[in-house]
Amino acid sequence: MPKTKTDLEERIARTSYVCGRCGSCRSVCPVYQEIKWESSSPRGKIALAKDIFVKHKSDKITESYTQRLLECTLCGRCEEICAADVHTRVLWLDLRESLRETGRLHPNFQRLGEQVASTHNISPTANEFRLDWTVDLDDFEVPEGKVESEVAYFVGCVSSFYPQLADIPQSIVKILEQAQASYTVLGGEEWCCGFPLISAGMSGEARKLAGHNIEKVRALGVKTLITGCASCFHTWSKEYPRLLGEAGGEVEKELGFEVLHVTEYFARLLREKRLMPVSMAETVTYHDPCDLGRNSGVYEAPREILLSIPGLEYVEMFRNRESADCCGGGGNLQMVDSALSQAIATRRVGAAVESGASILVSACQQCVQTLREAARKERLPLEVRDITELLWEVLDRK
Amino acid sequence: MEVFLKEIFGSRITTDPFELEQYTKDIAYIPPILVRLLAKPWPRAVVQAEEPREIASLMQWACQSRIPVTVRGGGSSAYFNAVPVQAGIVLDMNRMQGVGVVHMTGKAEEAAVWVQAGTTWYDADERLRRQGYTLRSYPTSAPAATVGGWISLGGLGIGSIRYGPLREQILGVRAVTAGGEIVQVDNPGLKSEAEASSEGGGLCFDDFFGMEGTRAVITEAHLKVRPLPEKEAHLVVFFRDVEATGRLMQGLGQISSVFNVHFSSPAFVAALQKKGYAPELPQGHHCLAVDLAGRQSEVEQAVEAIQRQAQSLGGEGLATEAGEAEWSSRFKALRLKQTWPSLQAAELLLPVEHFAAFEEALTKLANQKHTVVVTYAHLVSPQTVLIMTLFPSDELNTLRYLGDLSFISRIYAVGKLFGGKPYVVGLWNTSYLSDIYPPKELKRRWERKQKLDQQNILNPGKAYQAPLFLSRLVFKLGMGFLGAMRPLLSAGRKKDA
Repeated sequence: MPKTKTDLEERIARTSYVCGRCGSCRSVCPVYQEIKWESSSPRGKIALAKDIFVKHKSDKITESYTQRLLECTLCGRCEEICAADVHTRVLWLDLRESLRETGRLHPNFQRLGEQVASTHNISPTANEFRLDWTVDLDDFEVPEGKVESEVAYFVGCVSSFYPQLADIPQSIVKILEQAQASYTVLGGEEWCCGFPLISAGMSGEARKLAGHNIEKVRALGVKTLITGCASCFHTWSKEYPRLLGEAGGEVEKELGFEVLHVTEYFARLLREKRLMPVSMAETVTYHDPCDLGRNSGVYEAPREILLSIPGLEYVEMFRNRESADCCGGGGNLQMVDSALSQAIATRRVGAAVESGASILVSACQQCVQTLREAARKERLPLEVRDITELLWEVLDRK
Repeated sequence: MEVFLKEIFGSRITTDPFELEQYTKDIAYIPPILVRLLAKPWPRAVVQAEEPREIASLMQWACQSRIPVTVRGGGSSAYFNAVPVQAGIVLDMNRMQGVGVVHMTGKAEEAAVWVQAGTTWYDADERLRRQGYTLRSYPTSAPAATVGGWISLGGLGIGSIRYGPLREQILGVRAVTAGGEIVQVDNPGLKSEAEASSEGGGLCFDDFFGMEGTRAVITEAHLKVRPLPEKEAHLVVFFRDVEATGRLMQGLGQISSVFNVHFSSPAFVAALQKKGYAPELPQGHHCLAVDLAGRQSEVEQAVEAIQRQAQSLGGEGLATEAGEAEWSSRFKALRLKQTWPSLQAAELLLPVEHFAAFEEALTKLANQKHTVVVTYAHLVSPQTVLIMTLFPSDELNTLRYLGDLSFISRIYAVGKLFGGKPYVVGLWNTSYLSDIYPPKELKRRWERKQKLDQQNILNPGKAYQAPLFLSRLVFKLGMGFLGAMRPLLSAGRKKDA
């Protein structure tokens, strides 16, 4: 059922009324940790929302209010610690939706919406070039639109269109080839998963993308959909059922195929001995991407992969799993305040160095990109890599 | 003012009304009409300190300019402690965070650590655990409350039953006085406040502890900590009868490995279960969650002893998972707001021997007044229980909300009958000052405040004297009137149940 403005306002009012203003959310919020003013804390934002949506103080809708709502990585730390169990992540999305409905969409979000509407991806590049990252793969051809494959690999916009990250999708297909998996990609039929639009408050547009993507994957008749992008994974497994009004249903039952993050799929292949890692003498830590860990519940598969590598010394960062700090790259924050995003990332790479690791691994292109940039700027002795790059490097390729 | 403060704090000052408004409240909702009558909560500026020198400069300037300063930590209390009553400057301590290295100290070679005042208790504990240690006690609001804040409020909570009040776990504090002097005061072997007063001498530890930020600004605390326990256990026992519950509570205070005892009334459990929480707890029972920590053999013996004792009193026990579920949700009491988004509360200290009688009297009062009241409580010493009573209200209906305020005074009155008193003063409980302290003690406290803060700069308007509208007589008349009106303002109360 399409969401009406009244539904949206009621939901915001109901949720924000529950907040007890206790402030448990403050000390874990990556944005508050940087800005340090109360209005930047989750409870500060909810107080404003409560005034506007519960107490109908429309004069509180100001530019400062709008700015604060957008200064959020949607990391979900506030929800995890909330003493009143307020579902803050949905609240932040609803509040962004309300900005859009009242004509207060951030200009960069507006441009993003137009971009996706025009190319069906987040870049200005035409969608038919989605497989440009395969050009350098000389040893095999990546199967495109191959019906009745077992697995469909949903590449995601960042992997597809950012050449500096092309190693990630290349590693994924190389690993799939190595395991002799029956797989396919969608090529130009893959559209943006919609996550950046949902984060921008444009869930209506995201619904159209969801419909298209589901139809195309269903048409392939695959058993499993995998993706290396934590946000695509979260969108497919959590947001699509919600957007399509199928919340509460089992994802597999609703979609007709299972949805896995590549780390889950590769961990399965390792267990089946279809992949055999050889030794690596490095100290490695793992950054839980918010959309894969806290917001989707996948914590163990990436660790299982790392721990399967002989010789690798694995160390945890101070905050990990459900308490992991954000990389700063989520929630479209870079479009609103890139310096703030970078400051959050700097804090996280600092924690990685503190753990004693020489390699920081993540399982999300956005995290890798953000953390890599922070480590470079800070000139830290830290290599930032995607877990699939690392896995491909250590596989026994005989 | 702004120019001077910018010199000290740089970009860490704001006078933007959008920002200032956030500092005009704490966790309790008070109708604006009442706030306007009793306080000027809008600060002229908020500043964020990063080091004691900045606070010293601020205090020196504030004294010269006679501008009040209100210290704010987590802003997680409910009594206006961290909100200005006389405008002025809010000093935000949240940038002063950090946990030092655990070291051995004193003749007893006890483990201790310096923690900065703006660190939350939750964060302090997380960081201590990396060093193989943990806090001796912490508030139930640990994720929000700061070290400085809880010290200022008297520090009773989780772990107090085992390690005593927070006062006994602090070896000393570093602070800035009202006059802007940076000091360090140790706890052991110090003169008491009374001794220091009588001698007209300098600062003592009591000038910092439980003073609600009215005598000095705490910047760092030297806390005793404990090694991570060898064994922890969490169990739940439950009773149909509140009297038996009270008797077991009295017994639990005598068991050395008991770290925390948490009571939930049947109505509290029912309210949580309405929204799907605490499904493991039995309906219609008084529940005690008991948490133990210590050596393995000691804990195992204690668990058996508690189960035997509960059984002999007609109680039953639940599987370990229930205890662990209760323990893991120890910071989540506010889930109650999912059932009743608008609540009012009264928090009081009560002798544990009268706990059951208090609960019975409270239930009777609630029935008489057609009000749903829920209770949760923590045993904070073998003799004392810290009780939180809550009842649904409606902040969107100002008249009903005002009427409901009178019910808080009824709860305190019931508590007083059983030797209870409000836990914290702040602004709202200044009406109860004479219930909390004997007159001589009150006088002495005020004289001490005047001695240390002659200009009354630090957090004025709280903790010592009630403003006119909260003075005993006016307050009683006001509450009497609201109480009489309450039955007429009860729209929606039936639906609460």
